[in-house]
Amino acid sequence: MSVDLADIERRDLIKKTLSASTLAMVVASGLVLPRRVLAHWPAEAFSAETVEDVLLALLGQADVEQGHMLNFSVGKPAKHIIDGQSVSIEIDSELEDIERVALLVDNNPNPLVMSLDVTPTILLPLKTRIKIVEGKSKVIVVARSGGQLYKAVRDVRVDTGGYP
Amino acid sequence: MVMAAEDRIRATIRSGNTHIRLLLAHPMQSGRNFDINNKPIEAEFIQDIRCWRNDDEVLAIKCGGATSENPYFSFRLAGGDMGDLIIIRWVDNTGAKGLVKTQVN
Repeated sequence: MSVDLADIERRDLIKKTLSASTLAMVVASGLVLPRRVLAHWPAEAFSAETVEDVLLALLGQADVEQGHMLNFSVGKPAKHIIDGQSVSIEIDSELEDIERVALLVDNNPNPLVMSLDVTPTILLPLKTRIKIVEGKSKVIVVARSGGQLYKAVRDVRVDTGGYP
Repeated sequence: MVMAAEDRIRATIRSGNTHIRLLLAHPMQSGRNFDINNKPIEAEFIQDIRCWRNDDEVLAIKCGGATSENPYFSFRLAGGDMGDLIIIRWVDNTGAKGLVKTQVN
């Protein structure tokens, strides 16, 4: 079977147009643009300087219900913390369908320490470690469940600050 | 003695649920502090940690600079089987990324 010159040229042309149009599509779809990796980090909530501003920025409201639905412990031993660099926190709750949990320290320069987006697969308690400034502070846990915010507060005193 | 920093994860089945313990090797500098020569230490902290079990994203944690150095987390996932794949990905404020994975045993 013979292939004439015109046929080869035709194939070549099809290849070129195909790759050119594919490339144009990829560029147009934004696939080659550098992805904004940090787009979902709530910068406003993390740079807020009061507990109220954090809650407004992170959860859209600051009206919270105090109660015994949330339970958490701070430090080992509790309440009096020697080293603020690494303070263990254990969060537990009887609430069902928790969507988000925020962990705050009111006297830290930026109160918000972390925000956890929780799915129903996650079972509490959850343990972690945080930094707390020297002196007296309130450690605050706020959870959102069914459009309602629940809060729990613990008073702590730290001997050596954690430089958060 | 300085050990080579390494992310660690352990996932085990305990009374029918999956127990995950995670220790990430990261300085978690908030950018507000100074070193011994009084030079500012640049901010370097993990901002986003995500956890998958097999193909499902189950947890997303957003962190600020007040999370302790070498962040530690311990939590449980409802149910689970031996051999489930647990994947953790993290990104810090400088764009550095990490991937940790393990199988439940």
